[in-house]
Amino acid sequence: MAMILEGPLHGVAAIQDSVGETWNRYIALQQVWEENQRLKQEIQQLQGEQNRLREQSILAMEFQALSMYQATAPLTTIPARIIGRNVSNWYQALVINKGTRDGIKAEMGVITNAGVVGRVVRVNPITSIVLLLSDPNVAITGMIQTSRDEGIIQGTPQGNIHMKYLPPLSPVHVGDVVVTSGLTDDFPRGLQIGHIQQVTKAATDLFQSGEITPIADFSKLEGVLIITSFQPAVSAESSPPAETLPVP
Amino acid sequence: MIIVLQIALCLGTVVAQATLSAWLSVNNIYPDLCLIFACLVGFLTNEYKGLMIGLTVGLFQDLLAPGGIGLNMILKGLAGCLAGATTHTVSTVTTGAVVIVTLVLSLGCGLASLIVAYPFLDGSDAFHAISWVLLPQALYNALLAAGIFWLTHKVRPSFAVVHFAQGRR
Repeated sequence: MAMILEGPLHGVAAIQDSVGETWNRYIALQQVWEENQRLKQEIQQLQGEQNRLREQSILAMEFQALSMYQATAPLTTIPARIIGRNVSNWYQALVINKGTRDGIKAEMGVITNAGVVGRVVRVNPITSIVLLLSDPNVAITGMIQTSRDEGIIQGTPQGNIHMKYLPPLSPVHVGDVVVTSGLTDDFPRGLQIGHIQQVTKAATDLFQSGEITPIADFSKLEGVLIITSFQPAVSAESSPPAETLPVP
Repeated sequence: MIIVLQIALCLGTVVAQATLSAWLSVNNIYPDLCLIFACLVGFLTNEYKGLMIGLTVGLFQDLLAPGGIGLNMILKGLAGCLAGATTHTVSTVTTGAVVIVTLVLSLGCGLASLIVAYPFLDGSDAFHAISWVLLPQALYNALLAAGIFWLTHKVRPSFAVVHFAQGRR
């Protein structure tokens, strides 16, 4: 009798098991779905946090580089963060988060650890406006590092940087490094400006001119240093050699 | 309260110009959000409101721009006023009218700014600035203004006659 009942019992039990299994695996998934949604939200939150930390890390690295440069360079500088760009369409300008309250004055030079960026042209109490080197309203004196030939560096309306009034016989080559000559009050001698990208001299021109690729990528700047003071370079001609100085 | 809101809107526009214009730039052509804002206020209200908003937004823009204080204030004020004046000369301000008027005002403002910013430009540089910056920018401003105007009417058709402060036109 028991053997007769055993078959159907096994059958029913097998069906019950498979139905229960199907129910648990495929139909009663509410809990799993909720957990899945929660985990997805958690992943999104963690991704956002990761992105925020990555961004902070990149910023910190840039400002650390600026800070290291600030500590080693023979200049007194104030670090500033860029908080806006090109408020007016006709100027290549940056807005920085330092102003008169921080000791910033108009005409101060602006640099990064790579090289020259531009010049402060307007100062508000807590912000300042920096005109980039690529703006035609900015002109500084520069020189070719190898030949020491000087010229005027000025922006163009197209956003390029030109070096003008180079001596006609100056041996300027593509790739030559251009640095500040220190003849203006806002930049010390020897700060890197960029590389010569192209040299032009027509037969009728009195001077050579060149196009410069700036060393700093102005579109990707996050922070800058404003030069508040520096030791002016003393020219070799004006000071006697060290060994001829009278011993006190 | 309305005045505070208007000043906040002007400030917000200048901040957007300083921070978001890079995102909105197409091939290094930046839209002049302050001009667009002044023109739209003129179109949607009247010449008086356009003038006042234009002067305010221009003043804020001048404070963060390298040029002298006053240029943007005058230009944006004039643009807002002239945009508002067109609402009296045409029966209905349409999207097409917004495109044409904003284009003309943008060209005028751009040309004045160009002359003030670069007074010593030679012929080739001036030609380059006009053909590669001024004209595309004016067109961009006009299209953006028309887009915002069209959206405003879609979202709230009555906006054009419910003014910021002074009731119906």
